Formats: sequence, structure tokens, C-alpha cells
Amino acid sequence: MTNSIKKLAIGAAVAALMAPNAMAADSSDPIVIPIHNWSSQIVMSHAVGQIFESMGNNVEFVTTDSQAVYESVRLGDVTLELEVWEGAFGASFRAALEKGGLHDAGDHDAVTREDWWYPMWTKDACPGLPSWEALNECADLFKTAETGDKGRYLDGPVDWLKHGKERVEALGMNFTVINAGSAAALWAEIGAAEADKRPVVVFNWTPNFAEAVWPGEFVEFPEWVEGCDKDPSVGPNPDALFDCGNPAKGYLKKAAWDGMVGKWPHAYEVLTKISFTNAQIAEMAKLVDVDELEPEEAAEVWLENNEDVWKSWVN
Amino acid sequence: MNSEAPVISARNIWKLFGADPEKYLASMTPGRGFDEIRADGYIAGVKDVSIKVSRGEMLVIMGLSGSGKSTLVRCFSRLHEITGGEILVDGQDIMKLNENDLIEMRRSKMGMVFQSFGLLPHRTVLENVAFPLEMRGQDRHARRERALEVIKLVGLEGREEYFPRELSGGQQQRVGIARSLAIEPDIWFLDEPFSALDPLIRREMQDEFLRLQDMLSKTIVFITHDFDEALRLADRIAIMKDGAVEQCDTPDKIVLDPQTPYVAKFTEEIEKARVVHASVLAKPLNGTTPEGEPVPAGATVLQLARQLVNESRTTLPVADKDGTVIGTMNRQEALDILLGEG
Amino acid sequence: MSITTLSPSETQSQGRGDGRWSERQLVAIGLVALAVALALARPLLPEWTIVRVEEGLYAYADWLDAVFNFVRDDLGLIHLTRAIAGGLEYLLDATANLLYGKKRWPHLGPIPWTALAAAAGVIGYYLGGWRLATIGAGTFVWAALIGQWSIAMQTMSVIAVAAPTAFVMGLVLGIFAWKSRPFEAVLKPVLAILQTLPFFTYLLPAVIFFKVGPTAGAVATIVYALPPMILMTTLGLRKVPPEAVEAGKMSGCTRWQMLRHVYIPSARTEILVGVNQVFMLCLAMVVLTAFIGMPGLGGKLLAMMNSFKLGRSFEIGVTIVLFAVMLDRLSKAWVVKQPEHFERGTPWWQRHAYSLATFGGFAIFVLIAFLVRDLPNVPVKAVGDPEAEGSFFGYVGGVLDEVGRKQSLTQGKGIDKAIKGFLGIDSVQAVTEWLRWFLNVWILIPFRNALLWLPVPTVILAIGALGYLVGGARSALIGAGFFAFIASTGWWDRAIITLYTVISAVILATLTGLPLAIWASRSEKWANRILLFCDTAQTFPSFIYLIPAIMLFGVNDVAVVFSILIFTLVPLTRYTIEGLRSVPVELTEAADMAGATRRQKLWHVQLPLALPTMAVGFNQAIMFAFFMVIIAAFIGTQDLGQELQRTLAGTDLGKNFVLGMCVALMALVFDHIIMRWSTDRRKALGVD
Repeated sequence: MTNSIKKLAIGAAVAALMAPNAMAADSSDPIVIPIHNWSSQIVMSHAVGQIFESMGNNVEFVTTDSQAVYESVRLGDVTLELEVWEGAFGASFRAALEKGGLHDAGDHDAVTREDWWYPMWTKDACPGLPSWEALNECADLFKTAETGDKGRYLDGPVDWLKHGKERVEALGMNFTVINAGSAAALWAEIGAAEADKRPVVVFNWTPNFAEAVWPGEFVEFPEWVEGCDKDPSVGPNPDALFDCGNPAKGYLKKAAWDGMVGKWPHAYEVLTKISFTNAQIAEMAKLVDVDELEPEEAAEVWLENNEDVWKSWVN
Repeated sequence: MNSEAPVISARNIWKLFGADPEKYLASMTPGRGFDEIRADGYIAGVKDVSIKVSRGEMLVIMGLSGSGKSTLVRCFSRLHEITGGEILVDGQDIMKLNENDLIEMRRSKMGMVFQSFGLLPHRTVLENVAFPLEMRGQDRHARRERALEVIKLVGLEGREEYFPRELSGGQQQRVGIARSLAIEPDIWFLDEPFSALDPLIRREMQDEFLRLQDMLSKTIVFITHDFDEALRLADRIAIMKDGAVEQCDTPDKIVLDPQTPYVAKFTEEIEKARVVHASVLAKPLNGTTPEGEPVPAGATVLQLARQLVNESRTTLPVADKDGTVIGTMNRQEALDILLGEG
Repeated sequence: MSITTLSPSETQSQGRGDGRWSERQLVAIGLVALAVALALARPLLPEWTIVRVEEGLYAYADWLDAVFNFVRDDLGLIHLTRAIAGGLEYLLDATANLLYGKKRWPHLGPIPWTALAAAAGVIGYYLGGWRLATIGAGTFVWAALIGQWSIAMQTMSVIAVAAPTAFVMGLVLGIFAWKSRPFEAVLKPVLAILQTLPFFTYLLPAVIFFKVGPTAGAVATIVYALPPMILMTTLGLRKVPPEAVEAGKMSGCTRWQMLRHVYIPSARTEILVGVNQVFMLCLAMVVLTAFIGMPGLGGKLLAMMNSFKLGRSFEIGVTIVLFAVMLDRLSKAWVVKQPEHFERGTPWWQRHAYSLATFGGFAIFVLIAFLVRDLPNVPVKAVGDPEAEGSFFGYVGGVLDEVGRKQSLTQGKGIDKAIKGFLGIDSVQAVTEWLRWFLNVWILIPFRNALLWLPVPTVILAIGALGYLVGGARSALIGAGFFAFIASTGWWDRAIITLYTVISAVILATLTGLPLAIWASRSEKWANRILLFCDTAQTFPSFIYLIPAIMLFGVNDVAVVFSILIFTLVPLTRYTIEGLRSVPVELTEAADMAGATRRQKLWHVQLPLALPTMAVGFNQAIMFAFFMVIIAAFIGTQDLGQELQRTLAGTDLGKNFVLGMCVALMALVFDHIIMRWSTDRRKALGVD
């Protein structure tokens, strides 16, 4: 009930936006932009923050948890969120959307993907890749002391709920799934394998700095079909859930606090227009991860190099 | 030693340590000994002590460690709460004082010197001495002036800005003495003030102390475990054992007439001639007028030794400071004491 | 004391020396026999005794949640905590403004790094001469030059608020505990639990009751740093010499005057040791608050690790170590620093020379920075870019104000290469590969499976038996009771995996650390070197060890055990060296004169006497292991730590607390038993 009323109100506000003359000036209170623990998001947040500042707004950054942030956006403690990943945060975002207080502020051009992944040198040892059947044939290459005859797949932390175990069972793969404790553990594993080009297969996602450091590919599983995670009959194995790959083109959204449109109408308008591509996000991540700039400086540099891109959003 | 009301008057005081001393004392059969009390689970720190200290008198409490002397003196200033009995200070029952009055009494009347000095390590000499004045809220200027005055009195001029750890033991105790004198107390408690010092310094400090006492004439309760020191300083000595006072008398009397075997054991090794004064040996005149040059009443037998040996008279007149003859002394009796046969 | 009376075989605290068993030993043997019998009867036992299912006997977590919710919402605690959070936030904003220029009141900052370095240098010189001056100023210079100034200041701005708050609260609580026995009786067990509770359990309540962000971090930090301050305050006040107290009373002090002028100044040493502890724990915790998203050195370190920048992570680790060393050395120097007197008539500027120098150095650099900021044509942003327009002075002054990214001296990439190069060496790989195989297949996995195989009552009885042997019925009840509680929470298997990891790491650490320490203690020089290394290793933020562990061994138990082992080696080595060094010289000389060989001397004189001290180190090793095993969830484990880490993202306060208690109780059982043994042993040996 209240939800729909709120949505109506937003609709009205957005309608008001359309008539530029009626637009009030932005509040001088700082727009609070959340920062998480991966570089592209940090740089993007700073870049957007600097765009807002160039428009005369005050901006403040807070570091928050990437799941808990939707609750903060909903309450208005934080004004917006620039990277809503379908796979990773879709659930938290939808839950907050249900409760009301924030809304979808449009998609980026960029698409996201998260799935089993291998660095390029793995392909030399197992030329059939990226097909998952080929991977299964090569399971021997991935075995370790503690996994015995089976291949070893390093999944993301348990709480990311990536269902690696279920997929191995559903597809009858000759692999043991080990959960890493953190993203850092994933990189350490790849980094260690890099030294002697040992084949590894780990959980990974894009856009991500890792693409620039270690070129690689996603394993191609049976294509994602809606309902694969809920209905056993969907997908190749009629008796099991999770018998297909993750969506290859997940969305990357922006989210905004409902109150933003009233308080900072100009900034809000820009936010709805903002849209980054995969290439642009990778460039931002590279500035920090490869060129070792501080995020603020990286944002500055990126804005300098891409004036034509963002100037069009502002004007 | 005048006859006006005593400064401190303690009647039947008890200090028991243990679980519930009051209750135990109330139910205890009278006349129970130290060891019996200990068997009941209590320690008798002070056991049924009655004692009076007169104005201007120096009472020395003597005893071995654990005899209860420190406990007793702490009862006088109510650093310990007594279990039974009554203590009057200047006629006032100190157990009835409330906290503020007690603090007031200590601020105005009492000073105390401690065996291991009890100096505050973070304060300079000056600040330590001025501490009691500061506590009673005297203004900075006045307390500084007074502190400098006492520091000079104890001979620590020029060390005002030192910290205690920069001083020798003797100097530290001078600070302790100065601090206890800063408020010009009427009653001065000294708890083994010189025991922590080495013998040479101790002697020097005793002299210094006597000099001060000559000047100040305080009422003093002085604690020591050193019998020589007691004899040297005391007007009266109270000898304690197991919390009780065995004998309280002038040094001469203690030496000449020990009341208990315990006291006798202490006096055995003492060279009596050093202690016994002519005044004690003087017998009343009974109307007679002795002839010849009198000996001074304040002289010890030892000091008179040469004269006693060379003298031909059997009795010698004894005269006090004013030259009034107060009695006659039997020469043979004095010679016996001199030769250790008394 | 002759040597023979001290030889271990004859002074067994419970043994009779005539070969018969003492009562305690008999009871313990009985309990063990029962435990073994239960294990043998395993096939006959009902299902629930073997492995606990997730639900547990009681829904502690739900009860706790109900209590928390009631306290928070119905009793309105949330309003109180939010109000406190408001006050704290104000302070944090103020220090944040001063240190790194957050746009908040008082709008003065940021203070230029040169000014802080100068002030720290002078203070260091005052406290400990040129050495400490170098450490003081050097730390700030390093942070600025390596390009970590603003993140370091983010961390320091939290410490600048948390440490004084923890100090004041600890002092006040310590005084209360000293004054009131009942209060102390309540406080003591709470502190014991607080000291063993995993840090994840500090973080979540802080987030829920206080606002997300620096405030929650500061609260968690304060609570974490409190216990030693309280304990040291109480200890110090108890140790004030009675004569000082009596002197105070005889001087007519009121109660307040006694406290203010006698007790607290006399307890100065202990209180300052407490302050030192507060600094150390604050720094340790403030780094860990990165897990709840606090920015600063810890946050940056986590971010660097998450983007696999080993070199930069290492540099941040070095910065943290430097700050820790600086705070540690300066506060320790302050502990021993005694006031010095000035001769009468010393002019005031001479009396206050150090304060003046501190202020002067500070002011000069602030002034330079402000002048430069106002210099025409040198925008601060452009400073650091040599091609930017502006005078030379503007440039130099600007750098003195703020070091930009491009001037910093970071060697991140070089270190990255070095680490990767090292790991790429074939022999290193061969060794780690073999270790990984050997430890995993032959030791760790069988050991873990065996522990998990044991029926629950067997484990509880075995712990009880150990407790009985060492400390009698009370210890047995504590040990068995705590483990029974853990069994009833339903987290038994995870608790056992935690325990298995801890035990494995401590045993491996003992096997490597003891020989090292015994060898090092033979020469003063090596002992000192090893101790210095231990100190440094301990101050490195704990999770920096995780990445090398993974890179060496991959994501598996060997890496987990290895990362814990590095951490637990430190106290084991340090206490063994100190224990061996503290053996009285007369005793070793007596042994020499008795014609003992080196080995005989070690076995019969040195080790028995050092054993109580070594036990303390062993105990600390176990405590560290329990601390580290939780962080090792970062690698990937299936223990309590992993569950705890999962709770951080949500609002599962009850579950978080139950898990935390499981860890704390296990740690407390070991703490109790080992310390009990060590105390008894000390008494038996007649040392201190």
C-alpha cells in the first residue's frame, strides 16, 4: 500500500523534473555516496562525486558494506548506490525495494557476469575450454593433494551463495568445490598458480581488475534459463536445480534514495543519465589497480580523459 | 611534665583482627591470653592497653616487631578503628568524631613520621612538605613560605626542588619530619623514624631530633624497637609484648626495677650507669641539711664516675637545675650501679 | 637451594614421590577411562552424542535476539546508544578535521604532516633522546613519504578519540572495582570473557547499537581496549604503599584528595602501563574494524589485499608496525620517565623548554603550510606536479604541507615482483607442495576426522579429566561445563574444527618454536635479535599473514594452520627465551660445578625452572591461536570463525554472540587450566 503511494509520489516528482523551469535548486547538504571494497566502484563513486561537485553540490563519501548499503539508502543515511550487480546484490536490492524508500535509477550500459573462470594459461593445458564438458574431461589437471582424484574448483565465500556444489552435482562433474574465505583468497590462489602456470579454475566476475592482471575466460556452462534456480525441470538435468551457468549478461544498476529527487533535483537528473560501459569501468579499475593511483586521483584522471562522455550527462 | 589533663588518654583499648572482632570481643571471657585468642582465629594487635600521654611528654613505645606498637600508635590517630575501649585526645573521644571532624583534627593537631618515609614520589621536597597545608586549603603563597621555613628547620635548604628519589635515606626522612611539622601539630607521632637508616646517620638524626624537640616541646609518641634509642630519647618508655604493655615507666625505673621477666631480659645487657640519673638515687632529706658541693640531678651515674671514685663522703647532696638540693645520694649505691652490681 | 630439590621428578606437585598415584591422578584416570569406554562404545551410542545437528538443544540465539531486541527497542537503549554515538561522532569529526581535513568543525585541518612529525620528534626526544625522536618523527615522515598520509590519519583520528576514552573509562571502572569488592566480583568474569571474545563479536553489536562507520569502529575499539586498563588501574591502586596512604590520611586528606593526590599519582607506573596497553589494543582493533567498513590503514590494507597488491599491503603493514612501535616506545618511555628537578630560579622558558620546542616546531610548519596555501599561482592540487606553474618555494612548501601521490616513494610493484619471484622458485614450490601434501594427507585431515569422530561426551569427559588433574573439582567442572554448553548450542562440529585448528597450530608452533628459543637463549645477541623479530611479527596486522599463507599452500587447512602458526610462534619463543634467561645464575653455576653437561644442565636445571614461564607463553600462544583462527576464516574454513564472519553482513546479533561465546569459553578453559598449572608450579618451585 504505502509502497504504491510512494511510487506515485516519485512519479509525480519525476514528472515535475521534466519541466525544467519548475526545478528548485539543490540543497547544500552533502550528497552521501557509499564506497565499497572494490576499485571500480570506488573510482566510479569518486568520479560521480566530482561531477556533482563541479555542479556546485557538496559531496561526502562513506565506507559501507556492499550488502548492508541498501538498508542505508532506504533510510536516507546514504543517498545513492552506483553499482547494483544483478548476481551479487540483486537479492539485497530487491528486498530493500520491497520495503520501500529507494528506487531503481536506471541501468548502466555495462553488463555483469559471474561464473567459473580460468586464466588463459589453463587453456594451454586443456585446449577444449571454455566448454564445461571439456573442463570436466580435464578434471585430472586440477587435482591436488587433498582433493584426491577429483579436480579442485575454488568457489567464492560460502555467504556469496554461488551454488558451486549444487552445480557440480547437478551436472555430474568430477570436481570438488572448496570455498575461499574472501576475494583476496581467490586472487592469492591465481597469483600462486601464475608462477608455474599451473591450471586453476576459480570463481570470478566481470567487470573486475583481475581481467587486466590475468587475461582469462569464463567456462561456458549450459546457458542460463529463467527458473534454473527454482525449477528442477529447467535445464539439462531434469531432476536438479542449478544445472546451468549464471546469466552471461546481468544488469548493473544505479539505485537512489526516494528523497534525493526532491532534495537534489539537478544531481538526481544527472544520476539517471549516468551510464558507464564495461570498457570505461575497466579503465577506471586499471587506473587504480595497475597504474597505482589513489582513487580520487584516478577519478580526476578519468574525468579529464573522458570529458565528452560525462559532459553530455551534465548538460 | 605538668599535671594538667593528659593529651592522650587511652582506656582499655583493644584492637582485634579477624572476621567479626566486635562480636568476638563482646563475647570473650576476660583475661584470655594472646595465644588463646589466636587459637580462636583472631589476632590481638592491641590487647587491653591503658596509657596516658601528658602535654610536652615524650613517650617511647618499645617492642619487637609484631608486638603491636605500630598498631597502638595508629589507634591514637584513628588510622585504625579500635575494637573496644576509649581514646580521648584533648578530652575528646576520637571514636565519636565524624569523618570531617577527624580530618579537621588531623589537619590541625597531629603530625606523623613513617618508617619508610611515606613520601609521595611525584612531588618535590617542597610540594611534599607543603602537602598537608595544601590539603587544608591554605593558599599557595602562605604554604610555600611555611614549607620553606620547616625545610630550613630540618636542614634541607637548597633541596626544595628535588624529588624524593634524588635524596639519601636520611634526607628523605628529614622531608618526612618537615612534612609532619608543617601544620605545627600539638601531637607528634613517629613510627620507627630512624630504623631504615644506617647506624651513623641514625645517631645524627637522633641528635637532630633532640635539638628539634628542645625547640618545639611537642607531645610525642615515638616508636622504636631499639632499646638504646628508647633510653636515649624517652621521658617514659612503654614496653610492649603481644599487644599488651608490659611496663610503662621512666628509663631509670625500667632499668633499676623491671616489673616482668620480659622487661628484665631487655635491661640485662644495658649499662645502667648510662641511664640512671642522680635524681633517681636521691633520698629525701628528712629535715637534714647535707654538706658539701652537690651533684647535678640531671647527671647520669656514668657522668659522675670520676667524682664517685675520688669522693670520700658516703652521701652526696643532689641539686636540681636551680641549685636547690632535692635529696642525698648514697655513694656506695651509685658505685654499685657504676660497677654493674646494682 | 640445592639443585636436587628442584629437579622436576621429585617435586611433582601432586605426586608422592613413592610411585603411587595421588587422588587427583586416580580421579583423572577414571574419567579418561570412562571417556575411552564411551568412544569404544560409539556404535551403540544414540545419534545425538556423536555429532550435533545445527539446531542445538536450546535456541540460545533466539533468546538472545529477543533479549537484545527488548533492551534495544522496548527499554530504549538504542536511543541512549545513538545519543552516545552522536557525541562520539562529534569528537571523531573534530579529530578527522584536524588530522585529514574532513569538512567538519573546527574547520582548521588538515594539519601539515611536517608539523606533526616535528611535534612527535620533540616529544620523542624529551622522553627518550635521539632514538625515540627518530622513531617519533620517522613514523610520520614515512607515512607521508610512502603516500599513506591521509589513510594513516584516518586511523589516528579514531585512535585519538578511542584511546583517551578507553583510558578515562578504564580508570573510572578500575577505581570502582578497587573500591567495591562486589563490583569487582561482577566485573572480573566479564573482563575475562571480553578478553577472549573474538573481535567479530565486538564488531556486530557496535554496528547495530551505534551508527555504522567510524562511530561503531570507535566503540568496538574502546571496548576492546578497556579490560587491561581496568585491571592495571586496580592493580596499581592495590599496590600503593600503606605508608603513603597513611601519610595522606595524617595530612588530613579527604577521600577525593586521597584519590587525586595520593592513590592515582602513586599508581602512576601501573596506570601508564595500562595506557600503553590501551594504545596497543586500540591500534590492533582499529585495523580490524576494516571488517565493518572503517576507512583507514586497515580498510586500505583490506582493499589492497582484495585487489592482490602484495607490495602495497606490505607497506601498509609496515606503517601500522611503525605507528605501533612509536606508540609503544613513547608510552613505555613515559612509564619510566621520572620528573627532573630544576634548580631554584630557573627561568620559566627553560622549565618548559620541551613544551615550547614542540609547540614551536609545530607552529613553524603550520605557518609554512598556510603561507604556501595562500601563495599566488600555486593551487594545492597542482603541488606535486613539477610542471605546474609556481615558484620553487611554493613547490617545496607544498610538499611540506601535503605529499601528493606522484611524489610518494612507494615500492609496491617492486615488492610484488619480489614476492612472486620468491614463490616462483622451484625449490620453494617443491617444499611447500610437499608440506601441503604431507600435512594435509597424513596429519591434519586424519586428526580432524578423529576429533570429529569422537562422541561428544568423550570430549567433555577428557576435558574434565584434564581439569581435575590440574586443578581439582572446580577446574574439572569449569572445563566440562563450558564444553557441555558448547555442545548444547548446536555448533559442536564447528567448535571442534576450531579446536583442531588451534591445537594443530600450537603443537606445530611448539615443535618449531622451542628448539629455536632454546638455541637463541644461548647467546645474548641472538636472543635479542629473535625477541626483536617477535615484537615486529606480533605488531604486523594479523591478517597480513593470510595472503602469503594462501600463496604458499593454497586455500586449505595447511594455509590456515600456517597463518596461525606464525602468530603463535611469537609468544612461545619469547616466553621460552625469557624463562630460560631468568633462571638464577647461581643455579646454572651450581650445575656447572656439579659437572653437568650442557644437555644435562638444560634438562635438569634450566627447563624445569623456566617451565612456569614457558607455560604462560604457551597459554598466550593458545589465546593468540583462538584469535587468529577467527581471522583465518578469510582464507576459507568451516569453523566458528567462518560462521562469525557471515554474521557480520547481517543483523544476527544472537547468533553472533553465541558463536563468540563458544570461542571465548574454549579459550577460557585452556586459559584456566594452564594458568592454574603454572601458578601451582611456581609455588612448588618457590619462585616469586
